[in-house]
Amino acid sequence: MSKNIFVYVEAAEGKAKNVGLEILTPARVAADGGEVTAVVIGNGVEEAAKQAIAFGADKVIAVDDAQYATYNTDTYANALVELVKKYNPNAVFVGATPDGKDFAPVAAAKLGSGCVANVTGVAVEDGKIVYTSPVYAGAILNDAVCESDVEFAVLRSGAFKKAEPDEAKAGEIIAEPITCAADAIRAKVVDVVKEISETVNLEEADVIVAGGRGVGSAENFAILKELADALGGVIGATRAPIEAGWISRAYQIGQSGKSVAPKLYIACGISGATQHVAGITGADYIVAINKDEDASIFDIANVGIVGNLLEVVPVLTAEVKKLKG
Amino acid sequence: MEILVCVKQVPDADVEVKLNADGKPNVDSIAPVVNAFDGYALEMATRFKEANGGTVVVMSIGSDNVKDSMKNCLAVGADEAYIISDVIADADTLATSEVLAAAVAKLEEVRGKKFDIVCCGKESTDFACGQISQELSEKLGYGEVVDVIGFEPKDGVLSVKKETEEGYNMLEIGTPCVLGIIKPDYEPRYPTMKSKMAARKKDIPVVETGVNAASPVKVVKVYTPAKKSAGVKIKEETNEESALKAFAMLVDAKVL
Repeated sequence: MSKNIFVYVEAAEGKAKNVGLEILTPARVAADGGEVTAVVIGNGVEEAAKQAIAFGADKVIAVDDAQYATYNTDTYANALVELVKKYNPNAVFVGATPDGKDFAPVAAAKLGSGCVANVTGVAVEDGKIVYTSPVYAGAILNDAVCESDVEFAVLRSGAFKKAEPDEAKAGEIIAEPITCAADAIRAKVVDVVKEISETVNLEEADVIVAGGRGVGSAENFAILKELADALGGVIGATRAPIEAGWISRAYQIGQSGKSVAPKLYIACGISGATQHVAGITGADYIVAINKDEDASIFDIANVGIVGNLLEVVPVLTAEVKKLKG
Repeated sequence: MEILVCVKQVPDADVEVKLNADGKPNVDSIAPVVNAFDGYALEMATRFKEANGGTVVVMSIGSDNVKDSMKNCLAVGADEAYIISDVIADADTLATSEVLAAAVAKLEEVRGKKFDIVCCGKESTDFACGQISQELSEKLGYGEVVDVIGFEPKDGVLSVKKETEEGYNMLEIGTPCVLGIIKPDYEPRYPTMKSKMAARKKDIPVVETGVNAASPVKVVKVYTPAKKSAGVKIKEETNEESALKAFAMLVDAKVL
């Protein structure tokens, strides 16, 4: 049964964020022969709109105004609600970024719509969209349907694969001049403070070398970084080294951090607590290095090495360098 | 200021949940605890009260089964605790928000005072939807800020510190409002012998809103993810030998 699916493609500095492009793929599945329309909201969003077309949207609705230069719950929710009222999509998919997770349920509640959270799978069964979400830190999966007129769903980053982009594909970009009345804006941003200068793209990384409490110090993360560099990947961390101040929270992987789906995940000195494992269910191949042979990380690793990561990792790095020449 | 903290009792998040023989999650056999983020919300609200005056009230949807959690909250800063008896089976976040909004109105009626701030933990460890603050704010008609790591009064409004991926934003929001709290850089306080005894003496009234909230989101299937097949565990004489053996496997598996 064909449906019209809205996909909110979040833009940062004019470019589409990865998750928005990823979720165009399950939107196509959910559309079941119908239409996929990307929605872009911001200030200067032409590039993001074009990317949305290239990665699978049939058309784009662009809400482009200075009012949206800084994210605000009320302005963004209002814009999405106005668009849903006007265009009547069957479902609205939003990527689970901090902003997406904020305004999607607000917009849904304004419309009396259900909002399915943490979606990692989308299918169509008997004409209905079925959403899969992990619960209890990923130990259990729930399949759910949404029975409101408009279905809202918040989809996890790294759970879906972007389509191959087609730069030549044409698609209409419709400008919608929606703005929010000033007195409807209840929270105002008065200062934006950037403390974390490093950016690390964990969600798009093919290889991640992650460290836990077992890494022992900030300096030892350099050993992991060398392996990551040799493999063309990035480093990551669990909560423990971040709370110990050894590495910035930009690198956090887990229930409170990022969800990742690399081809190769090397867990160094990580015990395998449920809150961390919840963030790596998308990893294709997991290698674990831990001194404790009973660490639960070994239950989910393809290859486990019981040993001291400070000695194991440099050997791996040397072998990788030899292999790659 | 009158601050209301919404608290959810959840199964201890350190215990892995499995499915029973009847295909349902075995949560009843796991010790219940106050949801972690709600504990942080209560601590933040309590510090605000201690600095600026006011009252901290906690409420939780449940029955006698949440009494101990309410007592625990009373022992670490809450002045009053209420149990909201409208338990709706398989409620989604929208239905829960509707019950909570009705509970806010009910408690305001019972106590004869309006709440200035309604705090919720960012998400609960069981379903981790992270949507209550947002949907509740809409049901109440209030503004909201989520990912809050601090808030204080400023010129008749609240100055709120919101964590972002790159650092933090400072926002201003008028009251009444809803705040979704995540982890600040301090831990919740421990109860003392004195606070525990005082908590035990307090009444925990049960109130009913009578709201019949519908859940658009319906779970149709509950199952466990496909288990990763047992991997290989290497433990050679030396770390170097283990590393080399593992490396050979990775080359074989073509993951490098």
